[in-house]
Amino acid sequence: MTKRHVEIAVYAIFIAAIMLAPLVLEPFWLNRIAKYLVYGMLGIAVALSWGYAGVLNLGQGLFFGAGAYMLAMSLKLASPTSLQQGSDTPVPDFMLWNAEPGSKTDLCCINKASFLWIPFQNQWFGVAMGILLPVCIAAVIGIILFRKRIAGVFISIITLALVLLVRLLIIDAQPVTNGFNGLTDLGWFKLFDFEFDPYLVQTYYLVAGSLAVVLVAARLLIETRAGLILQAIRDDPNRARYLGFDVPRFQTFFFTVSAGIASFAGMLYVIAAEFASPTFMDLSFSISMVVWAAVGGRASILGACIGAILINTITASVSETKGFAETWKAIIGLIFVLVVLYLPRGLAGFAHDIADWFVARVNGSPHRAAAREADGVQPAE
Amino acid sequence: MPVALTVDGLSVDFDGFKAVNTVSMIVDQGELRVLLGANGAGKTTLMDLISGKTKSTAGRVFLYDTDITNKEEHEIARSGIGRKFQIPSVFKDLTVRRNLEVVSCRNTGVLSNLGFGFSHEGEERVDEVLELIGLTGQAAMVAANLSHGQTQWLELGMLMMQNAKLLLLDEPTAGMTQAETLKTSKIINALKGKHTLLVVEHDMAFVREIAERITVMHLGQVLAEGNVAQIEQNPKVREAYLGSRAIS
Repeated sequence: MTKRHVEIAVYAIFIAAIMLAPLVLEPFWLNRIAKYLVYGMLGIAVALSWGYAGVLNLGQGLFFGAGAYMLAMSLKLASPTSLQQGSDTPVPDFMLWNAEPGSKTDLCCINKASFLWIPFQNQWFGVAMGILLPVCIAAVIGIILFRKRIAGVFISIITLALVLLVRLLIIDAQPVTNGFNGLTDLGWFKLFDFEFDPYLVQTYYLVAGSLAVVLVAARLLIETRAGLILQAIRDDPNRARYLGFDVPRFQTFFFTVSAGIASFAGMLYVIAAEFASPTFMDLSFSISMVVWAAVGGRASILGACIGAILINTITASVSETKGFAETWKAIIGLIFVLVVLYLPRGLAGFAHDIADWFVARVNGSPHRAAAREADGVQPAE
Repeated sequence: MPVALTVDGLSVDFDGFKAVNTVSMIVDQGELRVLLGANGAGKTTLMDLISGKTKSTAGRVFLYDTDITNKEEHEIARSGIGRKFQIPSVFKDLTVRRNLEVVSCRNTGVLSNLGFGFSHEGEERVDEVLELIGLTGQAAMVAANLSHGQTQWLELGMLMMQNAKLLLLDEPTAGMTQAETLKTSKIINALKGKHTLLVVEHDMAFVREIAERITVMHLGQVLAEGNVAQIEQNPKVREAYLGSRAIS
């Protein structure tokens, strides 16, 4: 038995657990857990860019939000209220509340920018834009930042500023985005003729299945040669450069993949939560993602994913328990401080140590097992 | 013997300060050339110029017939120049074996590396190089845990894996014990012939051990060129370097 077997088993157990959850959970909790699984997907995105590429993106919410808004625009037009605005074609209700008197009730000309909504009448346009827009934004940001060899804390500051900038723009573009209020009262996502009511078990499976696919794909991605080169670049970009690797290209690629995962998560969130709002681009939300990954273990795809799900589940339970209602934030903060102090590699690092011990015990020869285990890629400190 | 490296009138001007001033040199294929000079003579800057870290303000550099003047670092590396830094730099969170495997990826693009595993020849070469640098026993060790000397050897091993035509080695024995220096000179002697080498070094005992031809630099310019005996007897070198005493 090797550590690899243990690892595969842990992945399999996790996927089985999220697939079997509907057997024991009622719809209310199922919908909640679905949202937390979406956060788990964000944990994967953070682990990929922070843990493996060494790029601490404090603006991951930008991509999450962009994905969410793109799909929400389509679902808003699919909402029954959008059809009851006195036009043949669907029109978002909020647009008419603020429209100038006498303006036409058609997406073409309610206000100057309302025409942007026209193609979103097709749900699949929203889905396509939900991936394409964030991925293109990420690629452009990545090319500029990485070609200029900006690294470390400067990337964090720039991405942080960007997400706040976009948040401001969205709030400011009230006539087309409904500003602070975001997009609410959405229709359901449709696949063929099936409607994904957020409280249906099928919706849960849509999210859980997506998470399982993203989890395995991200894990396989870092197992490729490109994933190994990426980790080498994280450790020493200059060394990699003088070995002939085009460093910015690798960084941009993985930064963009991470953004793509975040935007996919944003779309799933809209399906499960039925709204999109500027809070997705709040600073606190992007920071929370980093905290989830830090607690779960940023150098572990699954660790960061579980960290996100765990923290959110604990937050929900604690904040709703009488007696903790006032103090729950302190409890979450305490957990975070303890993990950072005593488990710098996060829960995943702790689990790795247990797995080492377990493998060594099963094989009876700790020395050999440790040597074999070390063959695997080591997580960053 | 074909010429591996041609440096022609290379200069760099840092706001009026010429760290390297119209340096010209020719290194034959398979040669081991030592760059000698006091601190600030421009040795490391010359390597920076050749490897693309610093852009030159005048002059040209050719690797065989390819003009590599002022290209990007990774392009110069791909055209066949490997570089070892003064401060050893390896991928410290990866194991020794992984460090070498990274270099065994012959394609340097992202998409061409989206596959799994390494070529059979690549793996064999990794074993060979591990043997050459004497780190077979440490293959599974994380590079951060290697000793200073072992880290230097690993970096040399990565250059061997890279299979570059020209290797630039910046003080490969800096901070090494005598035994480690001896082993390093063995590794470097093994590289001779297969690769063309340009080595910056201060340690004269080590230079005598490995050098064929020496180029002495002083204040950004080439002061003298010749074999060990010629350089040790050269009055200009003596004066510039040590007042009137001999190099020891």
